[in-house]
Amino acid sequence: MASAVHTNVDLDELRDRISWLARLRWLAILGVLVAIWVAPRMFGVELHRFPLYVVVAALVGYNLAFWAVGRWVPRATSGPSVSYFANLQIALDLVALTALLHFSGGIENPLVCYYVFHIVIASILLSRTAAYLQVTLAIGLLVAMALLEAGGVLPHYHLAGFLDEHVFRNPVYMFGTLFAIGTMLCFAAFMATTITSRLRRREAEIVRLSDALREHTEDLTQAYEALRQLEGARSDYLHRVAHHIRSPLATLERMLAVVSEGRTGRLPERAEEMLDRARVRVREVLDLARDLLILSRTREALPMVDRSTVDFASIARDVESDFRPQAGSASVSLAVSLPEGPVEIVGDEDALRELLENLVSNALKYTLAGGEVRVSVEARGDTLALCVSDTGIGIPTAEQDQIFEEFYRATNARESGKDGTGLGLSIVKAIAEIHGGEVSFESQEDTGTSFRVLLHRRGLRAPATP
Amino acid sequence: MSEVSGKKVLVVEDDPDAAETLQIVLEDEGYSVSRAASAEEGLQKARAEKPDVVLLDIMMPSGTEGFHFVWELRKDADEECRNIPIIVLTAIHDKTWVRFYPQKDDPVYQPSEYLPVQGFLDKPASSEQIVSKVEEVLAEAGTASPEEKGSES
Repeated sequence: MASAVHTNVDLDELRDRISWLARLRWLAILGVLVAIWVAPRMFGVELHRFPLYVVVAALVGYNLAFWAVGRWVPRATSGPSVSYFANLQIALDLVALTALLHFSGGIENPLVCYYVFHIVIASILLSRTAAYLQVTLAIGLLVAMALLEAGGVLPHYHLAGFLDEHVFRNPVYMFGTLFAIGTMLCFAAFMATTITSRLRRREAEIVRLSDALREHTEDLTQAYEALRQLEGARSDYLHRVAHHIRSPLATLERMLAVVSEGRTGRLPERAEEMLDRARVRVREVLDLARDLLILSRTREALPMVDRSTVDFASIARDVESDFRPQAGSASVSLAVSLPEGPVEIVGDEDALRELLENLVSNALKYTLAGGEVRVSVEARGDTLALCVSDTGIGIPTAEQDQIFEEFYRATNARESGKDGTGLGLSIVKAIAEIHGGEVSFESQEDTGTSFRVLLHRRGLRAPATP
Repeated sequence: MSEVSGKKVLVVEDDPDAAETLQIVLEDEGYSVSRAASAEEGLQKARAEKPDVVLLDIMMPSGTEGFHFVWELRKDADEECRNIPIIVLTAIHDKTWVRFYPQKDDPVYQPSEYLPVQGFLDKPASSEQIVSKVEEVLAEAGTASPEEKGSES
């Protein structure tokens, strides 16, 4: 009957709807039994109950049979036979309804309009063609029943108590009723199939889109995985390169140191001085390799970042004692003000220490003798505010936009003759950023600079995982 | 100088320049120094000479041979060998965030997962740093077992 080609999705859906139909049928059977019980008792309608019970028994019988077939014969509920199965059930329902009507007044029974339910169900379940075939069957059964009763071929079971006179032979009544029911069924089928086919088209579109989306997602996942591996390889490569650079440089620096310390014999003064300068240059490259490694680790290799609750106050105390000798020899006063008790932050301890060391080291480096460097740490809710201010040489206003650029060193910093890789502030910024924070500063040349770092106390970015 | 005279230091380092530098500094400070260029040679010399302390480079040619040296020495049959203090010299510690140390509040801290060594030195370490680390480790070893053979000679 149904020539429509069903996809698997449609078949699944059809199976669902068939079991829904079976549940509806149990409800209909209950409704019929209630009507048979109520009609005579409450409205005084006389019913010929026995044939009605027979039809009800038939309904119960075939509903159970369909349930059993659906359960025990998988072939009937899979593949193309599913739609035959559905068609058969609806056709049988139409016959059962016609039989019930026949034994309860034929077209004199107002429930004759109940065909419409079957047609709506057929339109939802079946293809458009099959739905119209079911309409044809319904009209055919109805017309046949009406004509056969009118012609006396079939007996007429009068609904005494509902209608006083017999109208089933009245041609005008017959025509009117059949016309009304027939057109109602046709319109119902038209409307229901139209709405259903629209829904099906939309459903098919959604399935198509979600398939496409799944493909895209897979592509993206693969691309991400490839990128992650590449990133890992790159990071590993960088790490090895940095080690291979640092290792010989470290040896070189040590050899120069041993000579310049006079452990291999006394040197001419000028040679000693040149050697010391050579050591300074070697240290510059070592620092550079170190800073590049830290910067790259901070920015790219987040899985390396440790994530634990650390006490920033204790980091600050450690850094203070590390830099105390340097401040002393430069005659710069170093003041650290911390709140009482720990200042907890979720973060990477080494990275946070690196951040503070960079700021303090910069401040000391560019502050002249007699100056002052002040460090303060405050916790306000989820924010940790770190302030490192100095009375140093400051940053020229014209260059303030550039100081976070890699390798950039302000003119006065370069002219001061102090070493620097130009990466320190980039590292500070990168570390602040992975802790959900930001860095700002205020500076006036020859007066001093004040760096302010705001960190989110629970803002450490989670390691990138697929 | 006299208090360290006769104390034996074994330098396990594949880079001859770095090894020689260490030797010059330590001999200048009065230690007697012997050198090994690989973990295997280092183990042989450690067993034969029973040094008072070992200065060990972690990254030798065959990857992380230095780790091998540590584990082998720590499970040596001879108790004296097992207890020789080791100072690790490396360019990959601390500042490059490769960890040999546990984090203080590491929730999965397992002492056995970390190197059973007595000290770390970052390359490049200054002469003073090297000397003071060696003194420190020797002093600790001395308090742990007061009868050291250095005092006999």
